[in-house]
Amino acid sequence: MQLLPAIGVIVVALSAAGLAPAAESVSKPHRIVSMNLCTDELVLRLADRRNISSVTWQARDRDNSNVADLARDVPINHGVAEEILPLNPDLVLAGIYTARAPVALLKRAGMRVVDTDVPRSFEDVRQQYREIAALLDEKERGEQIIAEMDSNLARLERDRPPVAPTAIVFHGDHYTYGRGSMIDVVMTRAGLENVAVRLGIGEFGQVPLEIMAMNPVDVLIIGSHRDGPALATELLRHPVLSRLSDHTRVVVIPNRLWNCGGPALVEAVERLMRVAKEVRGKVPNE
Amino acid sequence: MTRTDAVEATGRRYEIPYGSLVSGLGALVVALFVASLAIGYLPVDLWQGFGDALNGEWTAPALVLVELRVPRALLGTLVGFSLGLTGAAMQGLLRNPLAEPGIIGVSSTAALGAVVVFYFGLSGLFLLALPLGGVVGAMVATVLLYGLAGRGAGTMTLILAGVAINSFAGALTALALNLAPNPYAVSEIVYWLLGSLADRSLLSVWLVLPLMLIGWALILMSGPPLDALTLGEDTARSLGFNVGRLRLQLVAGTALSVGSAVAVTGSIGFVGLVVPHLLRPLVAQRPGRLLLVSGLGGAALMLAADISVRLLPVRPELKLGVVTAIIGAPFLFSLIYRLRAEE
Repeated sequence: MQLLPAIGVIVVALSAAGLAPAAESVSKPHRIVSMNLCTDELVLRLADRRNISSVTWQARDRDNSNVADLARDVPINHGVAEEILPLNPDLVLAGIYTARAPVALLKRAGMRVVDTDVPRSFEDVRQQYREIAALLDEKERGEQIIAEMDSNLARLERDRPPVAPTAIVFHGDHYTYGRGSMIDVVMTRAGLENVAVRLGIGEFGQVPLEIMAMNPVDVLIIGSHRDGPALATELLRHPVLSRLSDHTRVVVIPNRLWNCGGPALVEAVERLMRVAKEVRGKVPNE
Repeated sequence: MTRTDAVEATGRRYEIPYGSLVSGLGALVVALFVASLAIGYLPVDLWQGFGDALNGEWTAPALVLVELRVPRALLGTLVGFSLGLTGAAMQGLLRNPLAEPGIIGVSSTAALGAVVVFYFGLSGLFLLALPLGGVVGAMVATVLLYGLAGRGAGTMTLILAGVAINSFAGALTALALNLAPNPYAVSEIVYWLLGSLADRSLLSVWLVLPLMLIGWALILMSGPPLDALTLGEDTARSLGFNVGRLRLQLVAGTALSVGSAVAVTGSIGFVGLVVPHLLRPLVAQRPGRLLLVSGLGGAALMLAADISVRLLPVRPELKLGVVTAIIGAPFLFSLIYRLRAEE
């Protein structure tokens, strides 16, 4: 499988006027604020608790966050500039898809805001952990997390089944993920063939139920939803999908495992690989 | 020549024998139903799907046919029939040519009722909770409007009341969706305001059918008294019709049909306006005879609109209310223009 060339992590650092980046020991941030669930995870994994001023409210939500325990006693924000300004942070981490208005306001107020992109490969994840670890002056912890993730991935790599069962992710509102997405990388690592790629889906796209029904897969991957009903998630209970399951294995992968790039991706690979091995027996050998 | 005479004359001019009109529209609905089964996102061998489904083999074509296209076509027919029928019924009841579930706010209160039941998990309480939520919502608006129009309110009052009810129900729907626990809920307001038949299942069909059929029966039975009502309430009474019961029957029938329809497809506007207007000359302006044909016409319009959203190269597919409003809103405008000229 061919990985897209690592797009890399866009890091735009703005220094407060007059404050040129000084030596690292001097510039180690002590009042870090994160405005995005994925940067919450980076900050909570990499920085010391005493240096974190605030993370988003989502970081404490066990269904969406991999680091809910670490976030338990960290003050929370809702990504609103008014909450963040009084904290007088010396570093604000945001995602490039975080609401732009408050981010722009914080930048105008002279804060040091760093935007992070979504990783699209394991190389992106490594690079992101290295860059943010450097920014937080926690390089060692960064390398440790990367090394652990890589050794787990290497262990799983040896286990990968030789024949790839077909699979597709189906999330609320018909969303699926194809070439160029982290989810596709995880599926391939787990020894699954992502049918969304064959259907011409790029990083993400919507697939009508009819197309799902006409392209039966060995493994149908859905997200977990415990948020009460909505049409978008009710869709996953449509009888056309449950009837498919005579031939199709339906697996739930919690969105938190692969929403953000990080060590949790290993668990996603592991869970999917287990399924891939189980259904492999039923896939006719070519 | 008085206005009524002129209307009668034009009516007679275009009149088609009732039997032929009903069978003609029925045939159109059947043809569009088959077309709706045949047209989709992918070419599917319908015969194979049909055969496999009969043999209990759930192959891909059988699944697409039975679980996706049949429910979609059935719901299009049922909901279109309900909207066309109730449009004709309300125009007869309120003796107002602009009465229509969407314009006067019945659909939007029905959507509000369904939204509250669905997003807060009440639809799991008992089987018919979701359609009943829609029916209760629709009932509120119907009773309100009847209270207003029953006192002889003019077209202007009715439309303005509709504006008020629509914006109030729309705001409360947005509020309910904002408070709903699921993060997808907020963006789904589009569905409730504009309606769609996409991704419904046979379960939705069984869910709406009982209440909807009762609503249809109540309305269709009111044909003869509705005809008599055109001669004035006193005359209708002297002919032995119970006007009070007629009103109750039409109000309940409308709430049951529109409420259950909106609960599974969102509110789809203008069908109840356009269809009765196009067909009225063909039944010599008789509101009783207009009922059944408007139902059939509504079903045909809904199926055609739903086929068009799948044929148009817009993805994700357009909401049905977009198509019906593009046809219906200019139609409404031309009606208002003509009414103004007549005044």
